[in-house]
Amino acid sequence: MASFFLSNEFGLIVGICIFIAIFSWVDANFWSPFNLFVISRSAGVYALIGLSMMAVIATGGLSLAIGAIGVCAAMAFGWAIESAGLHWSASLAVALAVALALGYVNGWLVVRTGIHSFVITLATMSVFFGGMLFLSQGQSFRALPAEITEFGRLKVFSISALFLTAVAVALLLAAFYRFAALGREMLAAGACPEAAELSGVHSGRMFILCHVLSAGLAGIAALLVTARFGAAIPSMAGQLGQDWLMPGFLAPVLGGTLLSGGRVSVPGTVLGAILVTILANGLLRMSIGEFWVQAILGCLLLAAVLGDVMRKRYLAASGRA
Amino acid sequence: MGRTSAYFQADWFGPAVISVLAVLVIGLIDRAFISPAALDVLILAVALNGMIVLSQMVVIAIGQMNLSVGGIGGLAAISFAGLMQVQGLPPVAAAAIALLIGVAAGLFNGWLIATTGISAFVITLASLSLFKGINLGITSAQPFYEIPAVVKAFGSEALFDMLPFLSLPTIVIAFALMVLLTRMPLGRNILAVGANPGAVALTGVSLKWTVIAAHVISGFLAAAAGVMAVARLQIGLPTIGDDWLLLSFAAPVIGGAVLSGGHVSVGATLWGVAIVAIITQALVLFKIDPYLVQAVLGLLILWAVGINRWREVRARKGEGKL
Amino acid sequence: MFNHSAFRSILAAGVVAIASSGAIAALDTKVGIVPGGPHPYFSAWGPSGKDASRDFKLGAADYKVPAKWELGEQNLLLESMVSQGYNAFIIFPGDSVGSVSTVADLVGHGAQVIAAGGCFKDPSKALFCLGTDTGNSAYLGTKELLKVMKGSKRILHLTGFMVDPNTQLRIDGVRKAAQEGGGTVVQVIADIDAPEAAAEKIGAFMAARAGEIDGIIATAWVPAVQAANSLRKLGDKRIRMVAIDHDEVVIKAIKDGFVDGTMLQNPYGQAYVGAYALDRLRHGCTVKADAPWKSNALTARFIDSGTAYVDAAKAGNFVGAMQEITKGLLNSFEATYLNCKK
Repeated sequence: MASFFLSNEFGLIVGICIFIAIFSWVDANFWSPFNLFVISRSAGVYALIGLSMMAVIATGGLSLAIGAIGVCAAMAFGWAIESAGLHWSASLAVALAVALALGYVNGWLVVRTGIHSFVITLATMSVFFGGMLFLSQGQSFRALPAEITEFGRLKVFSISALFLTAVAVALLLAAFYRFAALGREMLAAGACPEAAELSGVHSGRMFILCHVLSAGLAGIAALLVTARFGAAIPSMAGQLGQDWLMPGFLAPVLGGTLLSGGRVSVPGTVLGAILVTILANGLLRMSIGEFWVQAILGCLLLAAVLGDVMRKRYLAASGRA
Repeated sequence: MGRTSAYFQADWFGPAVISVLAVLVIGLIDRAFISPAALDVLILAVALNGMIVLSQMVVIAIGQMNLSVGGIGGLAAISFAGLMQVQGLPPVAAAAIALLIGVAAGLFNGWLIATTGISAFVITLASLSLFKGINLGITSAQPFYEIPAVVKAFGSEALFDMLPFLSLPTIVIAFALMVLLTRMPLGRNILAVGANPGAVALTGVSLKWTVIAAHVISGFLAAAAGVMAVARLQIGLPTIGDDWLLLSFAAPVIGGAVLSGGHVSVGATLWGVAIVAIITQALVLFKIDPYLVQAVLGLLILWAVGINRWREVRARKGEGKL
Repeated sequence: MFNHSAFRSILAAGVVAIASSGAIAALDTKVGIVPGGPHPYFSAWGPSGKDASRDFKLGAADYKVPAKWELGEQNLLLESMVSQGYNAFIIFPGDSVGSVSTVADLVGHGAQVIAAGGCFKDPSKALFCLGTDTGNSAYLGTKELLKVMKGSKRILHLTGFMVDPNTQLRIDGVRKAAQEGGGTVVQVIADIDAPEAAAEKIGAFMAARAGEIDGIIATAWVPAVQAANSLRKLGDKRIRMVAIDHDEVVIKAIKDGFVDGTMLQNPYGQAYVGAYALDRLRHGCTVKADAPWKSNALTARFIDSGTAYVDAAKAGNFVGAMQEITKGLLNSFEATYLNCKK
């Protein structure tokens, strides 16, 4: 039990509660159904982006290409529906297949060349995104079936279906890391490739699979964004897919995923995404000069991280006494 | 023979050969690429980007990352331009204050990292948001236009019509860093911390002060790059620094520096910057379909990194045989 | 910070009124003016909103800027504003297609939305688009450039992000004008919205290829500024140039003769007239279906907020020129575009 109070997840829950208390004290509309809906919608997408990055961080590497992979998947989805005339369920499969294939390319390059994943994905983000731009000529697909757009608007007790999807994916992923042999081997390979090799785990193959898993999660995130916009648009993750990097790093890092690899926290990542979304939403609702919002967000992030360290030190000290 | 092979195995040799060959080959295809004016633009790009990248390299040397390089540079840039336009300070005083802001920002990063033990990645991720936020808060996204003529001249003119003034700070800093990293105790400590922080703590070197020092140097260099960017662009734009992050990592790794710390090379890093600049500018000259530029750039970076890697592996095999 | 309880009671009263009468009883018009991100182009929107708020006695007309030029940031801001009680929006779409679903959300909350600066792509719930026809502005600018070029007419086109659908419209507009006027587009340099990249790529081109072009058309803000600087550095007045927007660097280069002119847009008028229109729409007016709408590549309900070509003769008083256009647009707006119950 004491270890739970020391965990990042507990710290995040405390942080989320504190900020919710502050925001709802300042602004009663914070709890309006619409605000819950938009917060949950953004948090769902950010959580999946964070999980996608987390899956690669598990190898001790990074992926700068998750945004580019996501956009490629979304555009493939749009193309499959509009140009190839496929049913939306088949198109989903096409989109995910594209994402997984691109993830495989990343993983294969990283493992076969031995070059740091940071460098490989820096180059492939440019290649993937550039290829997507060339093929699409920057044009969007928006003739999507009603099922997709309705899913984007669907809510269950004010909570967005996008968030529920993200939670479902997160639960599966947590179970995968916890109970599946493959998931445990991925983490073992990430923690110490040499030791894993000795116990019979093929760490190169595990690293490739980590990149494939990450790309699959990025693809799901992108499809949720597509449902939310009701269109597959090339700019959904910004130039080169860079807009996904900040949420991608923030959520797992706040959630206690070790940057050196081998340890991930799925619930921590989801909670981290929720915390960041609530912070951004709450700050925007207060009448601070909007140009200062980002500076305050930076301060609060620092405060959240520092507060967490102090909490742990205090608990560790009082535990010893 | 021993002398030659020492060169062959030096870090900077591979990227230097690639850069020079690339310039020659492209120059053969198209003379315009090696005209004095074109080389001038190339040197300007290497000078500015080189300063940005060196700022990142110092932190890579201690085995960390500084995601706030662009945030610090942007804040220094608008402080520099703003102090001249609004407060009417002379350029030298404004630049000095801007550099001090960079040092303070680096101190802030380094102190938090060293005292809390939180990873540099996390701290600088948050402080990037803070620095960029202060930048936006001060400027409300409005540029500062009134840049004194002397600053503009510094950014656009060349010494003896040969060497752009803007390259001078980068050259000085590059040499200073080389001396620091190879000859001075602080530099050796920085590399030692990067190689093995655990062992360093045992030898009595202050881990804390070394980490702080590296971040202060990084902040100073990022601020210098911000000031140079104002001179180069002739305008104090709040967006200066937004695009530095990827470049600051791409160039050292293309130049062959490893990201794990303990081993960096100023020469290799700067040649990496040159490769990126050559690729970028060649793509403009060869009229690549704008929709393809991004993909081609990525492929060329992969190719440059691949060659470097191949050379490294071959060198290691050669050593093995001996 | 505003008074929350008073604000809540207003909102509650509004909800009651809607429920009881079935008609929207606008007690107060609270306009949110939201650009795609921080950008100097929009700097006129702040004062313009304040002026509109004073002149038309609005509850508010606040200019709020997303912290970053990201679609997600803009959506977060808009979503938070609608639940703060803003009931009318003037929006520069972060993405002409991607922002359509956000408009639907806002309209679903009883807010009125118009696009300004750039347009949403049809079909959308936005009432109309008050702005610059980006493709046409590029076309007209190129026409002006062709007029001032003598002899051969080889053109360099500088533009912005390739992910922006407007970029393709600009490329098409420039190409069309060049074909009609006997010119050729030698090269398009795109993705240069970051100042460092713009300086490097434009510098590289000018150093090696300046002799192979006779004119430059810039259709994005940052490239226009950097190209003007580049021409000034070269000291070359042989190469003619037409820029876009009203950055000080561009205006000064026009006065000094390095740039021939610029395609001015009317950001002040967009926010001012937009706020006026939204207030009228909340007080019994509806949009006229058969108004003389213009259409562009994105929407069939387009109102030109005024595009003006400013050359050296007019560069001294370009602000005055825009105010005249704004006045004209405002005076005829209700009669032309709205049906109002008296």
